[in-house]
Amino acid sequence: MMTNQQRVLDVLVEAVDTLTDDFDLIEFLHRLSTRCVELLDVDAAGVMVVDQHGEFQLVAASDEKTRLLELFALQHDQGPCVRCYQSGQAQLNISLTSSAATVGFGPFAARARAAGFTVTHALPMKLRHQVVGAVNLFGSRLRRLSDTDVQVGQAVADVATIAILQQRSIEHSHLEKAQLQAALTSRVVIEQAKGILSERHNLSMDDTFDTMRAYARPRHLLLTDLARQIIDDTFDGDITPTGSPDRP
Amino acid sequence: MAARLGWRFCAGWGSGGVVDVSAVLARILRELPDGSGSGLLGGDPARCAQVLGVDGVAVSLATDGATELVWSTPGRSAALDEVQCTLGEGPAFDAYRHRTLVGVPDVQGADAGRWPAFLPEAQQLGVGALFCFPLNLGAVCLGVFTVQRAVPGPLGPVQMNDALILAAAITAAVIRHDGQRASFALAEPHTVLHRAAVHQATGMISVQAGVPLPVAMAILRAHAYRTERPLLATAEDVVARRLHFRDNRDGTSAPSGTGTD
Repeated sequence: MMTNQQRVLDVLVEAVDTLTDDFDLIEFLHRLSTRCVELLDVDAAGVMVVDQHGEFQLVAASDEKTRLLELFALQHDQGPCVRCYQSGQAQLNISLTSSAATVGFGPFAARARAAGFTVTHALPMKLRHQVVGAVNLFGSRLRRLSDTDVQVGQAVADVATIAILQQRSIEHSHLEKAQLQAALTSRVVIEQAKGILSERHNLSMDDTFDTMRAYARPRHLLLTDLARQIIDDTFDGDITPTGSPDRP
Repeated sequence: MAARLGWRFCAGWGSGGVVDVSAVLARILRELPDGSGSGLLGGDPARCAQVLGVDGVAVSLATDGATELVWSTPGRSAALDEVQCTLGEGPAFDAYRHRTLVGVPDVQGADAGRWPAFLPEAQQLGVGALFCFPLNLGAVCLGVFTVQRAVPGPLGPVQMNDALILAAAITAAVIRHDGQRASFALAEPHTVLHRAAVHQATGMISVQAGVPLPVAMAILRAHAYRTERPLLATAEDVVARRLHFRDNRDGTSAPSGTGTD
């Protein structure tokens, strides 16, 4: 068990180090798992990540009972997390007592039942299309996760993903930042262009915006590009105000 | 019902309160990525402040060389962001620059040399403590999640944990690539940018004074500073045409209009 856990730690620590100087990723994910149990009213939760061999490894769990840890360890090549990884889809409300629902991971289901669980779920941890792991939940009562619960569970999985990616996949993060900044900058540029046109034509901001859109649309011009031309003073078209002319 | 309310108020952060806090935290986590609202983030910032036991929260994201406030409780939290933008210093700047948590558990007792301009302003706003969480992703920082409250003191372990969870949830939500982000980027009317008026006013002043946008922005800032009014309020006066800078071609002479004081 320890060697398995140690391997998981080594794999992550190698790439992850620590989140900040005084803040440890594994500890954070452990606390997140504990929070997840409270948030979703389940009995156990674990954060599983895919290692470089494509196998699931446990990173953190809501409690450290051996039986639970064994259940997570069993899933390196079978179980709801593997199915979640292969399909990219959440695996929800899998009844551990149903042989049909547990096709392909019978031994895992048997061990889970022996540990007192009746239902399991796996929510994908993914950034865009890249699945990096799964949040695995276990319950001992026959309570289905509601749609609301699933949204919360997916948010928890997203939190775990971000926590791990905070130190990983560096190229990816630069791209994400660039795209987020592009969206914000686009918005700022459009607002500035609205100000310029509004002053030139003595229009309200709403009318200015409508005017810009009315100009851009039929010309298949991106609003952001039109705004940039207005700002750079390279715009040589004729923008005729729409709506009521000669507004005060 | 009354007994239940009473119990809730008494429960605080003890074991009894966990149920309540969990329900609210669950709701925030669920709503943050909700793309049906008016901004880049869904959900109610006030509820977020409530679950963390603080008075206010704010999320500002980095643009090219500046930041935009995209989600916040009104009043103090928005004002704190504005103060830092205006002064160009403060814990949120440091959290962003160094990609690390910057906590100021006691604004009044903090080392005055660290943020000489910011600390007195924060104190004047009635902020006793603030904590700035970087929205880190890989080697980059996307922005900062700030929580503040009037009463000084550190965040408790539960609050700290939940704040870190929320910072990661916010990071996950802002890197979504969905219709909401596209609508926001294209200034669709149902989406709101907190400082939109500042950028609109900058555009207007650039025409009025015949200056480039950065100079127009500097004129707006200088006027806000000189009249000791918030930048956003000053910008709103320009947009409402209560204030203009038409005779201000060199950027130095006085503006016309009084604004609303």
